[in-house]
Amino acid sequence: MKARYLLTTAAAACALTAFATDANAAGKWDGGDDLATSPLECGTGAAAPGAPMKYDGGQPTHAPNKAGKAITVVDVPKLIGIGYFNATSKGIQDAAKEIGNVKAKTDGPTEAKIDEQIKFIDNSITSGVDGILFAANDPVAIAPVLKKALSKGIHVVGYDANATPGAREWFVNQSPFNGIAKAMVDAMAKETGEDGSFAIVTSTFTTPNQARWIAEMQAYAAKCHPKLQWLETVEAQEDNNLSFNQATTLINKYGDKLKGLFGMTSVATPASAEAVTKAGQCGKVAVVGLATPNAMKPYVHSGCVKSVVLWNPIDLGYAATYVMRAAVDGKLEPGDTSVEAGKLGKLNVINGSEILLGAPFIYDKANIDTFDF
Amino acid sequence: MTAIPVTGAAASRGFLRRFASQEALLALAVIGLAVAVGFVNPRFLAYRNLADILLGNAYIAIAAIGMSMVIISGNIDISVGALIGVLATVSGSLAVAGAPTAVAWLVPLALGILVMAAQGAVVAYLRIPAIVVTLGMLSILKGGLISVTGGKWITDLPQGFHLADLDVLGVPMPVVIMVAATALAAIWMRDTASGRAIYATGGNAEAARLCGVNPQRTVVMVFALHGLFAGLATLVYATQLRVIQSTTPSGLELTIITASVVGGVSILGGAGTVVGSTLAAILIAEITSALVFVNVSPYWTDALRGGLILATVIADIIRRRRRAARGWRT
Amino acid sequence: MSAAAETALLRAPWWLKRHETLLAIILAVALVGLGAFNDRFLTLDNLLNQGRLMTEIGLIALPMTFVIITGGIDLSVGAIVGLSAVMLGYAWKTFAFPLPLAIVFALFVGGLAGFVNGFVITRVKVPPLIMTIATLALYRGLAEGVSQAHSVRGYPEAFYVLGQGDVLGAPTQLLILIVLIVVAGVALDRTTFGRALYAIGSNETAARFSALAVDRAKLVVYTLSGLASGLAAVVLVSRVTTTRMDMGMGYELDVIAAVVLGGTSIFGGAGTIWGTVIGLVMIQLLKNGLALTGVKGDATIVVIGAALIVSVLIASSLQRRRE
Repeated sequence: MKARYLLTTAAAACALTAFATDANAAGKWDGGDDLATSPLECGTGAAAPGAPMKYDGGQPTHAPNKAGKAITVVDVPKLIGIGYFNATSKGIQDAAKEIGNVKAKTDGPTEAKIDEQIKFIDNSITSGVDGILFAANDPVAIAPVLKKALSKGIHVVGYDANATPGAREWFVNQSPFNGIAKAMVDAMAKETGEDGSFAIVTSTFTTPNQARWIAEMQAYAAKCHPKLQWLETVEAQEDNNLSFNQATTLINKYGDKLKGLFGMTSVATPASAEAVTKAGQCGKVAVVGLATPNAMKPYVHSGCVKSVVLWNPIDLGYAATYVMRAAVDGKLEPGDTSVEAGKLGKLNVINGSEILLGAPFIYDKANIDTFDF
Repeated sequence: MTAIPVTGAAASRGFLRRFASQEALLALAVIGLAVAVGFVNPRFLAYRNLADILLGNAYIAIAAIGMSMVIISGNIDISVGALIGVLATVSGSLAVAGAPTAVAWLVPLALGILVMAAQGAVVAYLRIPAIVVTLGMLSILKGGLISVTGGKWITDLPQGFHLADLDVLGVPMPVVIMVAATALAAIWMRDTASGRAIYATGGNAEAARLCGVNPQRTVVMVFALHGLFAGLATLVYATQLRVIQSTTPSGLELTIITASVVGGVSILGGAGTVVGSTLAAILIAEITSALVFVNVSPYWTDALRGGLILATVIADIIRRRRRAARGWRT
Repeated sequence: MSAAAETALLRAPWWLKRHETLLAIILAVALVGLGAFNDRFLTLDNLLNQGRLMTEIGLIALPMTFVIITGGIDLSVGAIVGLSAVMLGYAWKTFAFPLPLAIVFALFVGGLAGFVNGFVITRVKVPPLIMTIATLALYRGLAEGVSQAHSVRGYPEAFYVLGQGDVLGAPTQLLILIVLIVVAGVALDRTTFGRALYAIGSNETAARFSALAVDRAKLVVYTLSGLASGLAAVVLVSRVTTTRMDMGMGYELDVIAAVVLGGTSIFGGAGTIWGTVIGLVMIQLLKNGLALTGVKGDATIVVIGAALIVSVLIASSLQRRRE
């Protein structure tokens, strides 16, 4: 019987070896998508403005004229109950209070599942709201239900994660993918040196934003930091403990070879920092990633993490609400090049139907304590 | 519990022999896999890595102890992952609010026992199938937790809260708890009447009743103990990192159930040991880590892990059937 | 429930005390109650739309009822949805199959996945829960591996009729579901196959001694379960216009909740298709009605969980008193 079990184990080991691939031989970083990339220029020069594009969003049909009147808006994020979308929701409430005639409610699935999110949007349509704010779990899967909303005269504005342009009027872009990619890769190269090797901890390979960032990071690294060496990408869901375990596995696997870890989510980054801290590798393994400030404070203060990349999610929700109000009021129409967004001032329209929030923000020891989310 | 002897010494010895090999085989698989992966990448065998695999997954093994008891008693629990999320949040909130560390550690244990004992009582006395009760409870805990906390992360945990960072004579606390809990539970289930009553209830509740075992009380006790182990698992889970997510860990219940059944716990009730489930939890964690070490394409890791779990389970079943064919009781 | 009401129910005729009837009454009361709160709830439009949204779960719940009646369970259905969806996209895009053939291929893969479950369960005698918990991981992993986590999009418009279109004024997929409900109901109630399932679930050994083809019946129900999951995948892909490897994640619990709420005994031997349908409709409309009344998603989950426990509790305690 034991021989049989050994046989099974041996067979398993063979299977493992058969499946084993030389990670570096692959042309593409795991977790990246196949869409075209547009890496920014190297160095610190200001990004060149993109070529103006024709408006490519969709428009609601027979929307009742509610200009200046009270409107009800529902916000359907990818999922509820995580710090990031709590922050965007707070921004939405802040803006609603400031504007006065907007009543906003956040309601969404407890897990980032496409069909659950669709049900929430569908219910909002039936209950007769004036506007829908969304952050899509999948740009294509969400499109039919958003088009249905537009066809019922409901205004649709996205933020954080886009849908296919024709399915919504506007999308508030926190920061272009290539801008985030540049900020992340530049920070990594600065900390590990130009020839450092690094690994990536992401949520899942199917999450569109993360896939886009990874693809853009690869394009930018190839262009501006060609000697940086990518080791591998691992999935860790949006789970604290799993992210920690995966980051620890990477540290143990590569030893001194590993100079840096990218955290692609607000869960993976603090967990990676914790793994580096626990392994006593602070200063030897750099952690660069997207994260919310509160979770990162201990690591930034201990010096284990130098810089955290993120936009301000409160501002993102705030801007989305102003864009919604402007769209309802007819103050933001196809072809416009900018929109007023309260305390954020004037925001520019890019890529036809997107409103740009700004460049990504770098949190470090000096400023992280001024944020609380 | 009233202690009523269920079986004689002879049966007990047969019992030992019957399960010793299942555990030995799992242990062999754990070692065999480590050696095989060690050939591909020697770094896998570094003390630090092996220790990290144990540390990072001890909470699954601890929760699997209680789950095994529940399954052996002929029931199932789907709510445990959500409960661990809730208990972690309660524990962290207490610690941050300034409660003494002992309170922050003990309340989740007590609350775990309470919630699970209540479910056990509904299962035992109102005779609602455990899958229905715990499926409902899963929803209640999951939705309730988000309703109450809004998913706000708990940060700034006090220094003394981190139980998982402590050690006993150099052995890290999660491992100490895992080993101690497994050993105590195994001895209790094997050598005491109240422990044996679990097998009797799961094997044949009617026969158990005739032998003087109160199946209802046994089920409540099993669920209460399961709550205790869920509480212990929470302590390790919540105190390991600097942040508590305040959400229910998605799919954790399946990981825990998988550890139990791969460990040889019979889903039909009445058989299995907690040593097996702990070894299985370690094996599954080891597989997850090993797949990264041998450079399996990350797109294929889940398929391979599923395949290996399936292979282990089928091997176990075939082994049992052969033993049955040779006249062993299974 | 008040004591008087309970006594009244105890005196009621037998059919009133059936689980399905009780559940239908609870459902009706809940619907009227929620309808009173919100005038957008009990409209034909909304109800048909809810029918569209619940079809995938409903399709899988039918064979799941069979599986649970035989005393088994199938936890891998959600993973099969993911695998079949990926296979649909893969066959269409990579193998360049014409779409109808790709659909057949996706159904075939779903059926095959179910067949593998059934085969190992009947031949190797692996308990269903263990087998399907393992294939849950395996099939989801295969979906990720085959797809390399990429989505397949851009299907021809005609395909979307299935998931987004209407036929005779009702959502296309709802009509398919209704036809299959009738087929499944008749098969379970009026055929020897259906009676064999009950016999297997009540006492498998006795069923074997009665010369029933136990293994074949089980093989059929698990294959059907996989096939229905494949069909659900095709409907879902058509509804959301894309394939993703994480499709159907968590469906297993939604499906099982509908089946057990509908009165099918998790221990096997008892249950009906009609009960499952009521359970399914109840969960879907309760979620929808609460949402329209302004209850938030997290609170809705709590209510669904409590409703599941309480309605099974009421139904079973009344049934026990009758016995």
